Amino acid sequence: MLSEGALVQRLSDLVGADHVVAGPGASPYVVDGKLARAVVFPGSVEEVSAIMTFASAEGLKVVPWGSGTKMALGGIPERVDLVVVLSRLNGVVDYEPADMTATFRAGSLLKEAQAILGRNGQFIGLDPPHTDLATLGGILATNSSGPRRLRYGASRDLVIAIRVAHADGKVTKGGAKVVKNVTGYDMNKLYIGSLGTLGIIVEATFRLHPRPAVEKTCLALLDSIDAVRGVVARILDSPLVPFAVELLNQEASRRVAEQAGLPWPKERYGLAVAIGSIRPEAVDAQLETVRRLCREAGSAEGSVLDGRVHDAFWRATRDFALGDGLQAVLKASVLLAKVADAVRVGEDVAAKQGLRLGVVSEAGSGIVRYHLAGETASDERFRQGVAEAVNRLRAFAQEAEGNVVVLKAPPELKSRVDVWGLAEKALALMRRPKAEFDPQRILNPGRFVGGI
Amino acid sequence: MDKERIAKVLIGIVSSDGVVTDPGELQVYEADGLTVFKATPEIVVLPRSAEQVAEVVKVCQRERIPFVARGAGTGLSGGALPVEGGILIGLNRMNRILEIDYANQRAVVEPGLVNVWLTNALAPGGYYYSPDPASQTACSIGGNVAENSGGPRTPKYGVTTNHVLGLEVVLPNGEIVNLGGRTLDPLGYDFTGIFVGSEGTFGIATKVIVRIMRKPEAVKTLMGVFETIEDASNTVSGIVARGIIPVAIEMMDNNSIQAVEKGVAAGYPLDAVAVLLVEVDGPKDEVEALVGPIIEVCKENHVREVRLAKDENERLLLWKGRKAAFAAMGQISPEYYVQDSVIPRTKLPSIMKFIGELSQKYGLRVANVFHAGDGNLHPLILYNSANDGELRKAEEMGAEIIKACVEMGGSLTGEHGIGLEKRDFMPLMFTEDDLGAMRKVKRVFDPDGLVNPGKIFPAATPGGEVGPTVQREALDTVLGRALAEGVQPAHGGDHAL
Repeated sequence: MLSEGALVQRLSDLVGADHVVAGPGASPYVVDGKLARAVVFPGSVEEVSAIMTFASAEGLKVVPWGSGTKMALGGIPERVDLVVVLSRLNGVVDYEPADMTATFRAGSLLKEAQAILGRNGQFIGLDPPHTDLATLGGILATNSSGPRRLRYGASRDLVIAIRVAHADGKVTKGGAKVVKNVTGYDMNKLYIGSLGTLGIIVEATFRLHPRPAVEKTCLALLDSIDAVRGVVARILDSPLVPFAVELLNQEASRRVAEQAGLPWPKERYGLAVAIGSIRPEAVDAQLETVRRLCREAGSAEGSVLDGRVHDAFWRATRDFALGDGLQAVLKASVLLAKVADAVRVGEDVAAKQGLRLGVVSEAGSGIVRYHLAGETASDERFRQGVAEAVNRLRAFAQEAEGNVVVLKAPPELKSRVDVWGLAEKALALMRRPKAEFDPQRILNPGRFVGGI
Repeated sequence: MDKERIAKVLIGIVSSDGVVTDPGELQVYEADGLTVFKATPEIVVLPRSAEQVAEVVKVCQRERIPFVARGAGTGLSGGALPVEGGILIGLNRMNRILEIDYANQRAVVEPGLVNVWLTNALAPGGYYYSPDPASQTACSIGGNVAENSGGPRTPKYGVTTNHVLGLEVVLPNGEIVNLGGRTLDPLGYDFTGIFVGSEGTFGIATKVIVRIMRKPEAVKTLMGVFETIEDASNTVSGIVARGIIPVAIEMMDNNSIQAVEKGVAAGYPLDAVAVLLVEVDGPKDEVEALVGPIIEVCKENHVREVRLAKDENERLLLWKGRKAAFAAMGQISPEYYVQDSVIPRTKLPSIMKFIGELSQKYGLRVANVFHAGDGNLHPLILYNSANDGELRKAEEMGAEIIKACVEMGGSLTGEHGIGLEKRDFMPLMFTEDDLGAMRKVKRVFDPDGLVNPGKIFPAATPGGEVGPTVQREALDTVLGRALAEGVQPAHGGDHAL
């Protein structure tokens, strides 16, 4: 194995000494407590490729890194030799507003991409957590999504072309810069959500959407989860076309309201239904229907959010986090009709385990996020509680034909529960792309499903 | 293959009424919708269940017999073309709707189900299945999955892959596996996503879980009549620039209008250079709000006449013309050869001009009827194979169109697939390394290369050597030149994607 000095020297030869860090300077680049031997900041696709060729030759284990907002996702890595940070690989590659497609380098911040596109009234229909820091590459690698997926879909629906640097240094593309294309296999799908285990995404082309000129949200207060269940079902089975239907439990409602500067009575579920259009009268007509449905479900009058408050509310919702202290975040994907039950199961188990629970759910998409905190509990008690919650929710999700992923947890917890929970029988096929694309297992080994 | 012995084994699996060996009956299966390619399978098997498919596939695996799955055979790229000496697995008998689950907005269907039957079955509940290829009254959902089929509604609602959430698949080793499921974000790699559009080269889908959608409250369809293709094209861009995403934006040129009017009399003006069909849907107030701006954009672009369908009958009539366009070509030409390439929308005027010039050069008429909203062209090159050399000229012209589209930053095919027809064009878009990555995925599912061999990958490269021998000189003329010259967008520069 290369000495640290030799490793830094070789990397410096590839990207320049200014773009390699080791020793104390590398200390922020920790994955589940494992410190990188060296951190490298490539400035071009060619440099990423050269780094991968080098890593392959030396058998170095590589962790791709955007802004590091989702490094808690995944199993504990087997080893971390090299962290490849893509922050220098940023900016727009090409953008033709009239075609409504744009290509960005993977290290670009979503926020910056949206600012560029916003000048033409366009945007990428993604609003995942970490509004200020999430990079496009990180969002795609982790298939991160937010409330807007109800209308705009997730990364798999929005990426039309992709460029990837593979373990052997080869750079390949998939898809094309047109919104409709079936030429060859749809390689975009393979890399999205693969957590960097098949290659490093270096560029991506998105289909864009026009940003609705008017967006407003009806925020209703509901007393019980059964009331929530009823009103969500009616909205989804109506001709309304909301771009988001978000459910917040009491804890989440309170914190989001606080951050967005909204008055909020305690002990209510919050149901936010967002409507957008090019015309205000079209938005208002739909909102009126939403308010009626909420009233009929027994909601105290829903308030309408618009302008700055609207934006602040949605930002607080997608970036939701409990305060400091011991934390874990779980994400369940369940059938639409099971969302309310999924919330209730989470509440039960959190109460039994003495954990504080904030629930933020894309109720129209069947996604439920559980933020668990245990500031009063001991570390061990917290770990036990979360592990129990994972087991309980998995048992439930299985019946609802879904799954539960641990998005964030301390490493001590990860050694106790499988963060993915994919059944053994599905794993044989899952291992095969890895064997084809990265037979040496140098990319993010140990972090993906089944320890891939 | 020892035909008699294998047939006996297969009869043991699906019984005698599910095995076809009679040469006359086999002819039915010798081509898909692209009839210039023909190959006769040794045996056709018609299973009724996933288990039967798996047993048949195991026989193929054990005996090393290449096999091809076929739905309704409406494909337009030779994707379901059988392999000489191989087995064809017809899925028409697996055509049930297994479950409709309104509460969760899902349906589970078998692959042989005819596309429109699903929407028909959902109608009483107020729901529908969005992907609606022009062949929807005949094509199967399994075929749609293989091709990642589109249709007119894709600008707003996307293509098949956006509506398929899970699959039950028989792998080439006979194993039955579930990919994805009813819920979003399944764990691990997105196998459902990569399987959709794999053109039957990974395995055979035996169950398809799709998203079903609530019918919109209102739909408005309008026709714009234009004096130039450019005005019509600019209208398309103008509508989108207003922030409006119509369900569909379809364009037809004068040759198409002539054919359609002779065929079904949809009421398109015979002297129009181009007509646009624009459809918007959604809540009533939303739809009302969109019609005005669309008409404004049409006027800004010198529209001669705008006709807003007054009622459902008028709307269906406008669509009838569009949907019947391919079939109506018989009114003005004995045969046609259709291309399916895609360009960035802003290149519409230039590519239409180029196609016009090619038409002059080759002395062949072209009827354009296509999905303008997403830049997906369908130039129908009209020819008569009774005239010596015309088919070859048509193919050569098609190849020139494809090459031009790729040079404009587009792609070879938007919804018809590569199949056998366009496999040799793949190097125009993809480097050997790009194709190498695709081959790795092929090996994930089909390490022995038994299912639908000879499709997608170029004949002269690994994966392409198997399969029927077909006459390719016409395309070679153009393609050989194109490959020799190189196509800049596919290979040049750091930023080429």
